[in-house]
Amino acid sequence: MTDALVLLIVLPIAAAILPVFLGILSDRAGWYVALAMSLAHLGLSAIVANAVDTSGRISYAVGGFQPPFGIELVADGISAPLLVLISISTLGVVVYARRAGPHSNAFYSELALLTAGISGVVATADVFNLYVFLEITGLATYALVASGRSPRAAVASLKYLFVGTIGASLYLLGTGYLYIATGTLNMASLSEAIVATPAGYASPTVLTGFGLMATGLLVKVAIFPLHTWQPGAYAESPDTVSAYISALVSTAAAYGLFRVTYTVFTRDFLEAVPIAADAFVLLGSVSIVAGSVLAVMQSDLKRMLAYSSVSQFGLVVTALGIGNKTALIGAVVHLIGHAVMKGGLFLALGVFAASVGARTMDEFKGLAAREPVTSAAFAVLAFSMVGIPPAIGFIGKWNIVVGAVEAGSWSVALVVVVSTLLTLAYFGRVIERMYFTHPDETDVADASVSADGGQPASDVSFGMRTVVVVAAVTAVLLGIAGSDLIDIIRPALEVYFV
Amino acid sequence: MASSLTLLPPAFVVLAVAIIMPFVSRRVGHGLGILATGAVAVWSLLAPAGVHLPVSFLGFEAVLFNVDDFSRLMGIIFGIIGVAAVLYSYSSDARNIQTAYALGYVGTSLGTVFAGDWLTMVFFWELMAVTSTLLVWDYGGDAVRAGYRYAIAHGLGGSLLMGAIVWHYTEVESFLFSATNGIAPGIPAALAAVGIGVNVGYVGLHTWLPDTYPRPHFAASVFLSVFTTKTGVYGLARAFPEGNLAIAYMGTAMALLGVIYALLQNDMRRLLSYHIQSQVGYMVAGVGIGTALATAGAFAHVYNHILYKALLFMTAGVVLSRTNEENLKYLGNLRGALPITALAFTIAAFSISGFPGFNGFVSKGMITAAAHKEHLYGIFYILLAAGVGTFMSFIKFGYYAFFRDANRDWSLERAHTGQAVAMLGVAALCVVFGLYPDALFSILPGSTAKAHPFTLSHLGEGFALAALGVVGFVALKKPLSKVGDVPDIDAVLNPALFYGTRVLVRGTTDLFAAVDRAVSSGSYAVATAIADPYPTARRVAGALGDADAKDITTGSLRATIATSIVLVVVILGGYLVGLLG
Repeated sequence: MTDALVLLIVLPIAAAILPVFLGILSDRAGWYVALAMSLAHLGLSAIVANAVDTSGRISYAVGGFQPPFGIELVADGISAPLLVLISISTLGVVVYARRAGPHSNAFYSELALLTAGISGVVATADVFNLYVFLEITGLATYALVASGRSPRAAVASLKYLFVGTIGASLYLLGTGYLYIATGTLNMASLSEAIVATPAGYASPTVLTGFGLMATGLLVKVAIFPLHTWQPGAYAESPDTVSAYISALVSTAAAYGLFRVTYTVFTRDFLEAVPIAADAFVLLGSVSIVAGSVLAVMQSDLKRMLAYSSVSQFGLVVTALGIGNKTALIGAVVHLIGHAVMKGGLFLALGVFAASVGARTMDEFKGLAAREPVTSAAFAVLAFSMVGIPPAIGFIGKWNIVVGAVEAGSWSVALVVVVSTLLTLAYFGRVIERMYFTHPDETDVADASVSADGGQPASDVSFGMRTVVVVAAVTAVLLGIAGSDLIDIIRPALEVYFV
Repeated sequence: MASSLTLLPPAFVVLAVAIIMPFVSRRVGHGLGILATGAVAVWSLLAPAGVHLPVSFLGFEAVLFNVDDFSRLMGIIFGIIGVAAVLYSYSSDARNIQTAYALGYVGTSLGTVFAGDWLTMVFFWELMAVTSTLLVWDYGGDAVRAGYRYAIAHGLGGSLLMGAIVWHYTEVESFLFSATNGIAPGIPAALAAVGIGVNVGYVGLHTWLPDTYPRPHFAASVFLSVFTTKTGVYGLARAFPEGNLAIAYMGTAMALLGVIYALLQNDMRRLLSYHIQSQVGYMVAGVGIGTALATAGAFAHVYNHILYKALLFMTAGVVLSRTNEENLKYLGNLRGALPITALAFTIAAFSISGFPGFNGFVSKGMITAAAHKEHLYGIFYILLAAGVGTFMSFIKFGYYAFFRDANRDWSLERAHTGQAVAMLGVAALCVVFGLYPDALFSILPGSTAKAHPFTLSHLGEGFALAALGVVGFVALKKPLSKVGDVPDIDAVLNPALFYGTRVLVRGTTDLFAAVDRAVSSGSYAVATAIADPYPTARRVAGALGDADAKDITTGSLRATIATSIVLVVVILGGYLVGLLG
């Protein structure tokens, strides 16, 4: 049963190699491999989720070496939903990519590698192993961003490469400090070993280790002002890639931050060193506002969504800083919800770009009449992102705000309200243009010519639209089933509150 | 039984009828209206005293149905007169929508008097102003403008009362009547006195009354004459259960000035409207004197006044609808053409004037007797003088409308059956309560122990006033008939209000336009700068003397790789310094 956990990582790595060989036979082989991989991945994550549901936390010792010396993989009520999320996102993106592309076997190899990396980040219970998976995730993402093949994509990828590598290196450095201080790399034993060091939480080595690891992960999460790589990476990559990385890459890093902060360092550390959490709240709050303001300023829709992610992850990091049960539940729910919503929104942009060539705010005029179904799905996802009940965006945001109020952080509650208004502002602008503005005649005529940066507009498959609609429906259904989701998450969080 | 009577506030039943009224036939609608108001009268009589239906209203403790001596009396008389007025409306060809507004007005008035706390009371108080304004507006024409003035007056009064209540809450921390004896003294009391004063028609605040009541449909006037002012008296008694001498003197002034102005009017309904002010003056004086007898007298007068004043408006309505003539100068000799109406008028006139044997005599006597007992002789004599004036003006009304020989030969359709039934029914009540006041005494608040209406001195007082009235009318008939329009305070107030509002509106509009221009051009500039920040950045950099300002092109503000790395280092450094420092 627990073998499924390791297969979740091994399977995509194996699948990453296949397209290279099968590419000799067929140009389309990669897609079939990816589809098979994502279906199998979904099956495996369902098995894991089921096991967690029946028996709680499950653990797997890689290679038969028992922790704390061997590498341990763990699934609990928090990571299991994320694993299912990864599987579903992968499947959705693969279905979408059949028509939308990029049509190369290399792309599917990179996609499978990325899946492996993200699954690994979520499943691992070992801080060094987490670094390895972060790097796998990073390398695959750099390559995927560059698959946009435009000069700007190459620059964005390079920027991401530099900044991301520095972030990962800082994390590795922090891991080294912890290893020096404690002699272990397993998360669970680290939490005990850190307290047992001679100086305990006051040890400079431990503190420096936390600072390095947290900063490194914050770079990966893309918190303002460490977000600079992110808008370019999201905006310049192909739509399929944008959707996938926006849904999962920062999410995995934020999950890593959660694990490091709460499993490795624990709430006792946060209480002993209040600045550790205060910095999260401060950076997160700044990120919420700055991301929203920057999003309002954008005229390119993909950039707008990218900055929106800066704001939303600010929310998650703030919740990690607040650190009470309600806020943490909100953070996990919002991680899941954001992935569904943001992924769906990017896929919708891909549909718009492919069918009518609309990429900027002005080109969105009157779009609802030409793409009614996708526009409706876009609107649903946008309203969910704003936090309008009953969609999932509301559940996460609501729990975070309630948590902030419980903790007496009224300023955070205020920031969230302000950012909600700004979110409404930037999505409102788009929806107003889609639904209530008539397109200029010239725009319509130009659209097909200028679409997709000069490339001819490709047509849109039924599958592409279906994936977008499914994302929108999922956002609403998850919201309606929000309390069930919280019931799954809560027991895993209780562990940190004993 | 008791619980089934207290399950829901009577107001809601009447309001429900008001809501379905426009969707049913005239017959069914008015029938339901009569049933509902009649049920309210019985219901009020039977409902056990005490607080029912405590609820949480807007997050505060509130009571929707509070039965005590005060509210019971108001409920009974509002119910009775509701039946008569709806019946009268039905046979006066009132449209459903008009009666629906009227029932809304009745329902909100019931809500006001049955409220057990200030918040609920002021809530219905404001709704009462709204529904009565709608009732006036419904008629259109002149009534619309008057309705605006009415709405403004009551908006101001209601706001003052609300201010009083909010202030009261901050001092007492409860809206419930049971929490205190009346409204908190000091500023809340002053605000309440003036705010309620608009409703009861204090001298100077009364102009809406003769302005509004003569203008709408004649059946609407019947409703209007009953509820607003009397609810005001009720509110005053709630706010000042111990009385207040200043209020007593204000009431006295109302009684006298009201009757003087009434005497000078030739428009039937305008004359009657000034009499409302005058009669309500008696009640306000009674509440102001504040002894048990005075309070009982004030509420007895509320009860009786509602009966005969509604009756007077009904008769005036019949005259008006048959002759299309509102001015007494052009009427006359109608007793033959409208015998039932003439009879009803005569009873009502005797009642309002306080002739022994009719109900006004009883209650007016209680108030004057209370003033006498308290040695408030100024009030006592002025009220007696106002009584003489009342006789005079109703002798005038009766003489000009019904009894003098005019050269006109009226051949008129008589009062409809419904109108006749309503009028005679109410007239009968006026006589019954005049001859057998104990029927009323048993439901009065305060104490009627010292009320002895039929002592010789009282009876003598009544007859003497009547005689003085006859003499006065005969003496003054000539000069009175020569008096044209007499300016009231509204000759100053209305233009002041009109031009004042105009200045205010123009000022506000122009100011708003200026602000709007400034804000929209400002926000347009900001929006432009935000949507494309680079030109602005170029300008700013240029202004700061940066030679490379022109190099700022689209996208160049985005962080370079080097900047990004610097940012990471800065954040890391800051974080580590914080953690280790």
